[in-house]
Formats: sequence, C-alpha cells, structure tokens
Amino acid sequence: MEQRGGEELEAQVRSRASAAVGRASRALAWRRTLPYLLIAPALLGTIFVHVIPIVWGVFISFRNLDIYTIANWRAAPFVGLANYLEALDLSDPDGVLFLRSVANVLYYGVVTITIGYVIGLAVALLLNQRFYGRTIVRGLVLLPYIMPDSVAYSVWRFIFQARVGIVNSFLMSLGLIKEPLVWLVGTRTMFSVMVASIWKGWPFASLLLLAGLQSVPRELLECASIDGANWWQRFRYVTWPHILPVTKTLLLLNILWNFNAYNQFKVMLGDDPGIYAEVPSTFVVRQAFDNLRYGMGAAMSVVLVLMMTVVAIIYLRTLKPGTSVED
Amino acid sequence: MNPTNPEKKAYRSMRSPRARAIRVAERVGLYAAVILVLVVVLIPYLWMVSGSFKTSLEIQSADITDPNLAPRWIPRTFTLDNYRNVNRTVRIMDYFRNSMIISVGTMVLCLALSILAGYALARFEFKGKGPYVLSLLVTQMFPGILFLIPYFILFVYINKWTGIQLKNTYQGLILTYSSFALPFSILMLRSFFANIPREIDEQAQIDGCTPVGALFRVIIPIARPGIAAVGIYAFIMSWNEILFASLLTGRATKTVAVGILEYITNQEARWAGMMAACIIVTIPVLVLFTLIQRHIVEGLVSGSVKG
Repeated sequence: MEQRGGEELEAQVRSRASAAVGRASRALAWRRTLPYLLIAPALLGTIFVHVIPIVWGVFISFRNLDIYTIANWRAAPFVGLANYLEALDLSDPDGVLFLRSVANVLYYGVVTITIGYVIGLAVALLLNQRFYGRTIVRGLVLLPYIMPDSVAYSVWRFIFQARVGIVNSFLMSLGLIKEPLVWLVGTRTMFSVMVASIWKGWPFASLLLLAGLQSVPRELLECASIDGANWWQRFRYVTWPHILPVTKTLLLLNILWNFNAYNQFKVMLGDDPGIYAEVPSTFVVRQAFDNLRYGMGAAMSVVLVLMMTVVAIIYLRTLKPGTSVED
Repeated sequence: MNPTNPEKKAYRSMRSPRARAIRVAERVGLYAAVILVLVVVLIPYLWMVSGSFKTSLEIQSADITDPNLAPRWIPRTFTLDNYRNVNRTVRIMDYFRNSMIISVGTMVLCLALSILAGYALARFEFKGKGPYVLSLLVTQMFPGILFLIPYFILFVYINKWTGIQLKNTYQGLILTYSSFALPFSILMLRSFFANIPREIDEQAQIDGCTPVGALFRVIIPIARPGIAAVGIYAFIMSWNEILFASLLTGRATKTVAVGILEYITNQEARWAGMMAACIIVTIPVLVLFTLIQRHIVEGLVSGSVKG
C-alpha cells in the first residue's frame, strides 16, 4: 500500500512538474510571439496604406492607365518607359511643365527654408533672453504653426487680394504703389505663396532651435565672455555647435516637406496655379485626377521619389545629421 | 538672486552712466523686437477676426484706391450675421460633423494600434525591432503625394473585387489618417511607456497579471496624459489634412479643411462667411493644442534633438 502510495505520489509530482515546465515554456514562447502580435495591427495598417501603394505605383507607371482601365490595370497597354520619357522630354509641353514645376519647387524651397530658418533662429535667440511675459510670448509665437493649413492660407489669400486686401492697402498708404498689384495671378504668385509659407513655417524652426539654445550651458557662455569673446565669437564657437544637430534635422525635414508642398499652392491659387507657381504636387494631382492619366501621374511620382531619395542620401552622407557636439 | 545670469554681474561691476544707457537701450530694443514678432504673428489672426464681423457689402465694396472705401481693421458696421448664416451658402456644419467623426475615429483607431505597438517596443526585445523602428522613421518622412495615385486606384480595386466601398466613407479616411499618424504616435508612446519604471508592471506580473493584463491594468492608467497627447495629435492631423481629403471624400464625407474652400467660387467670393467659418474651424485645434502643447513640443524636441 505504502509502496503504491509512493508511486502514485511520484507520478503526481512528475505530471505536475511537467505541466509546470510546459506552462513555463508556453509562457516563454508567448513572450517571444507576443511582441509580434502587438505590432502586427500597426504593421498591417502601414503595409496597406504605404507599402502596397508605393510598390504598386511603380507597376502602374509603366502602363497607360486611364479612366477606362482604372479598375483593371492589366488591360492598360504596357508602354515601358514612355511615361518617364514624356515627363522628362523638353520638346513635349507636359515635360516642359513638369521640369518647370521641379525648378519652381527648388526655388520655393531654397527661399522659404533659408528665410524661415534665419527668422526662426533670430526669434529663438530673442526668446532665450530674459524679459517680462516671456512664457506667454513663447506660447503666442506658435500661433502660426497651430493654425490649420486651409485656414491660414485662406486668410493669406484674402490678405493678398488686389482690391480688398491689406497688402496693397499698406503699400498704397506708404505711397509705394499707385495702382493695385495683382498678387495671386501671374508672375507674383510664387512670391505671395512664399510669404505665407514663411509666416506659417518659421515657428517650428524657432521651437526646435530654442530647445537647442536652452541646452547651451550658461557657464560656457560666461567663461567665454570673461575671456573677452564678443557677441559673434560667443555665438559662433559656443552656441552654434549646440544648435548644429537641431539645424541639420530641421533642414532635412524641411527639404522633404517642402519638396512636396501642396496645401499652400492649392488653397491660395486653386487647382491650376499657373506656370510661375506650378509645383510637382499640383501638377501630378492634375495629371492624374483632371486629365485622368493615372499612369503618367504615377511615373512622375516615381521620378519625385528618386529625386528625393538622392537628395536625402547626399544630405545624410555630407552632413551626418544626428551627430552632436558630444560625439 | 540670479547666479546664472552673467550679464547682470557684468553690468553691476561697471556702473557708469554710459553702461546704464547701453543697458536701457538694449532693453528697449529687446521689447521692440518682441512686439514686432507678436504683430507679425497676430496680423492674419486679427484680419480673420475682423473680417468675420464685417458685412459682405463692406468687404465686396472695399477699394484700396478710394480712401473712403479702403479696407479697415475695425468693421464699419459690426455684424454677427456671418456666424448666424455660416451654414447657408456652404454646408460647413455638415463638414464640421464629418470632420469630428473622422478625427475622433482616427484618434481611437490610431491609439488602439499605437498603444499595442508602443508597448511592444518599450518592454520587449525581439528580432527585427531595430529595422521596424527605422521603417517608422522613414514612413514618417514619406509625403502623401508619392503614393496618392496608386492608393486611390487601390480603393477602386477593393470596391470592384470585394464590394467594400472605401472612397467617400468615414472608415476609408479613418484608416488612411490613422496610418499617417502611426509612426509619430508609436514613437511618442514608446518613450512615454519606457519612462514608467519596469518594476511596476513586473510586480503586477508576479502578482498574476499576464503581460497584456499589465498593459491594460498598469501601464495605460499611468501613461494617461501621454496617451491623451498622442490622441489629440492624431485628431489635429486628420482635422487639418487636405490632399487626401480632397480626393477621397465626396458629398457625404467632406471635411472642413476642404469644405472651407467652397466659399470662394468662380462666381462669388464670400470672404466674410469664409472668415467666420475659418474661426469655427480653428477653435477646436487651438483648444486641443493648448491642452497638449507641452507634451507635443517635448516630443518634437526630443525626437529631433536626439536625431
């Protein structure tokens, strides 16, 4: 009996132990698979919205996809590189306009990024000083950044109106112009959009640069001024190395965002901004959704991706953003 | 009192009238510069507010060449009609409702997805974690125009083969915007979760919680402020989006960001009504941003300062 009871006990212990081991190993397996299950929904969303369309866009760009074949892309004639050649062909009106739009956006980007950065830095330096009401002012300067794009550019469109806008009214009161200037049609369109974009964009630069400025140790500046460094020397040799990493990130973000600027052009100038303010985004959207040449639009998008990738790689190679003064 | 202020010390050591004059001039210049910045920031806001209280007649008949009709900052006749009639020419209140549904939907879906993913990144080590984080950073930088066309065609395809309509529906836009907001949300939540001491949820697991239970019973309640900030970020993003909204919405789902442009047509420019609508559209964003300003600013700053 006793012997038997002992055997039973042993069997029981064994089975319990093996169950515990099983549970533990199951728990371990669960801990291994769980993170994948946790990121799976987000990953699926990203694949559906970003990855599939980007890959598919390349296939579409080799086809002459139009409104009749949109629901069956295999029926669209395969045209190889014809869409690309047309988009880059200087003897074709669409090619000319596409290349012109790329030139326009480069011009737009260089001007708005440079001026936006300079204003942002100047204001950040200002807000880093001590003065009464500094906290409130630091909040208020974010107002342009907060205003929704469609609202901000609608208001600027109102401001730039020839007959009822305050820009002309202001210039007139200064006696600089005699006749109202037309801002939103023709040659001055790009200038108007640039002014509005700079107004909207500099607070973001200021925000990041101010954070950079706050990371400068006060003792360093103090030492420098005791050693007789003037304002410029203190900025160049003490402050600048601390805001250089922010500057690099800011530049990269601004290049990527501005290269595909759409909202300001669409809201201020409508679907067809005209040759002086045509940018790749507005042109691609019109090609695809007004002219219903989806294949052509996709080809232009691919060209833009390639251009951006090249710019980003050159940028990352030469400037190595993310490396800071400590590295 | 201010041991960290080197200027003050320097000035105290050279208290000559000339130094004092320089100091006063510097102060005056500083305040003048601050006021200039504020004026530049506020002009469009003030012009918007002023325009929304003017009569349409006053705006339409304004003429900068005639001093009697020149546009003014203070309305000649003050009116609330633009707010009363805001829905008359453009169905802006319908668009407002659509925007609310889409933005709240985006907020919920984006939070659900990014809380899970953020938890995985903050608490687990797994193969492919590094590449996944990198892919998030890359997608965050990818502008919409680059995949807009195939995405649109994808919607046409899904409708043809499964009968599910995504274009001109709330769920189509909610899905789209959620995945736009995902990278930033996941990275933000990861850092919020990572700041919670590991011991707290490990203790919960010793007490019998499963890892998923620990997320819902411990981590989420503690990280509530951060989660609110991320949710509001997703809300504002979808409230403001123009490009996809202009192509993927129709009569039934148009959002305010696109709808607001309808005040200006080829026949008529209804600036007064538009300015009133602009204010109505801006207010939710302004309120929500003020609530979470500190968190979003910290997120942006830490994201870019660290590179």
